Amino acid sequence: MSDNKVVKIGIMSFAHMHAHAYASCLKKIPAVEFVGIADDDQARAEEMAELYGVKAFATYEEMLASDIDAVIVASENANHRRHVVMAAQSEKHALCEKPLASTKQDAEAIVEVCKRSGVKLMTAFPCRFHPAFKRLKESVLEGRLGKLLAMKGTNQGQCPGGWFLDKNLSGGGAVIDHTVHLVDLMRVLTKAEPARIYAEIDNRMFGGDYDDTGIISIDFTNNVFATIDSSWSRPKSYPFWGNVNLEVIGTQGVAKMEMFAQKIDVFSDRTGKHTYEYWGDDINQAMIESFVDSIAHDKPVEVTGEDGVKALEVAVVAYESASRREVIDLYA
Amino acid sequence: MQRVAIVGAGRIGVVHAEAYAQMSNVELVAVCDIKAAAAEEFAAKYSAKAFTTMKALLSGVEFDVIDICTPTHTHIDYIKQAAAAGKQICCEKPLTRTTGQAMEAVRICEEAGVTLFPAQVLRWFPEFKKMRELILDGAIGKPVVVRTSRGCAYPSRVDNWFADVKNSGGVALDMIIHDYDWLRWCFGKVRRVYARGLYESNFPLTDYALVTLRFESGLIAHVEGNWARPSGFLTTVEVAGTEGLLSYSSAETAPLTIELKAKDEQSISVAVPESPVSRSPYYLELKHFIDCLEEGRRPDVTAEDGLEAVRIGEAAIRSITTDRPVALA
Repeated sequence: MSDNKVVKIGIMSFAHMHAHAYASCLKKIPAVEFVGIADDDQARAEEMAELYGVKAFATYEEMLASDIDAVIVASENANHRRHVVMAAQSEKHALCEKPLASTKQDAEAIVEVCKRSGVKLMTAFPCRFHPAFKRLKESVLEGRLGKLLAMKGTNQGQCPGGWFLDKNLSGGGAVIDHTVHLVDLMRVLTKAEPARIYAEIDNRMFGGDYDDTGIISIDFTNNVFATIDSSWSRPKSYPFWGNVNLEVIGTQGVAKMEMFAQKIDVFSDRTGKHTYEYWGDDINQAMIESFVDSIAHDKPVEVTGEDGVKALEVAVVAYESASRREVIDLYA
Repeated sequence: MQRVAIVGAGRIGVVHAEAYAQMSNVELVAVCDIKAAAAEEFAAKYSAKAFTTMKALLSGVEFDVIDICTPTHTHIDYIKQAAAAGKQICCEKPLTRTTGQAMEAVRICEEAGVTLFPAQVLRWFPEFKKMRELILDGAIGKPVVVRTSRGCAYPSRVDNWFADVKNSGGVALDMIIHDYDWLRWCFGKVRRVYARGLYESNFPLTDYALVTLRFESGLIAHVEGNWARPSGFLTTVEVAGTEGLLSYSSAETAPLTIELKAKDEQSISVAVPESPVSRSPYYLELKHFIDCLEEGRRPDVTAEDGLEAVRIGEAAIRSITTDRPVALA
């Protein structure tokens, strides 16, 4: 493919709110033609197509039969498998929202089908693209912190509501929603795999049949230990949606990353609220440019489907650990 | 009037002596330290008598209260000797090195009819008192998930006895026992403990632990103990509830920071944040203990509280070393 090739992309489903961010990102890339939107909810497809000035397809099949090169799948977790598999069978590359699926079996099926179909599959882990994380990664991999010993991560957020609270569609609750980002970053920093998982998980924040609170402990194969707080523990009155924070402990020093610390504090009498207005790099933009670049230049994707499987596995096993109240050894 | 003898002329001993010096109903009569020079210097400063053994202290001077400020592993012996002599006892945290010793200490003091006051000073830190008040007042609804962090550079003090986990228990006992006690005070009984840490490792000037506590109420708490920082002390607390969130960071609440220009090109300038309060938490803690003795009241922190905090620390260490969650109830 030449450098000038335009990559044609469609979005499958606006069920996940990140679809809006992705649509805006696509519009900003000159080498991309954002072709259109298909959705299980036809009215939503038409509404969003009008909002972004693109075509509303009547069905996924119609969009996948067009000359698009790739899709972004932003459906409910449990529908990822159906949508990515459809796309792969139509020989379209796919960027799939995280978590890659709602079960490990589905996630593995997604990876397998994309491999057999010869299409690229990227898991949407935008945090890898934040300049602060890239600097942290360089520092850790150069050995500036010495030998890596431990990590402490949080991805605490406000409760997203909607289908995220429906276990049949989400696969769980806060833990499956929020654990995967940090697992992915930790795998990059340790260059190792999660080996043992222990989790305390509960639903006492909202009392629903979904989990809203979780502390997950992970021992990695290189003996680095870590915890991840994946709770929906930011109240409605919180100034921001949440955080992605990561502290790293090494023999020669410690590092602390607050991914969304680049903010302005706004105290507004107009809204009666205090808000954080983030001004740092747009990590979704960087992620989507990377996906487009891998298609335009036929390069490997920066975040793979396997990365998505590995991160999801921790969340799934965390649920099992919490219900058994036992440490679960992934290599036992 | 309470006549007090301090055992251990180290850092915390001096802090306690300074607090007693401000109390009109306390006379600091003696200090005992196995190092004669340290005892003599301390005694001279506070016009007290110096001793190098408990035996000499107990036979050499009349006093009512003993304040044990020695390394953790020595606490139980001093508690036993002091209880046998009928002294009222204040003991620096952790109450003892092991749960078994703490149970013995509780029993012995009960039998001897003496007060055993564990110096869990965090309960007199105004920020920690305020957070507890807010939680109990329902400011954030029902508390659900809590995070605490306590960190500083690796302790390197006299003899550096902290470095030997056999003596100190390391960061998972010595440091974050403050948080175990505060969490119990706020949220009640702990049911289960899971922890990861460097207890069995031997990296120079480095200890670190991540402890997850599950309470009888269902509340989940995550406690970080950090002796891996290059410099500076930092505590943070966050309590998330059904109707809100409270958060505290020592780094963001210092009302005063003084930063001086470097004296020359070789030296570096350092900003020193300060959070002064008119009454030190150590003073308030010991004042409460002394007032309770004077008035024949039971202190707000009991020997059982000291024991339970040690029990959580020991469970954390056991979890670190066995890779298993440890049930307490």
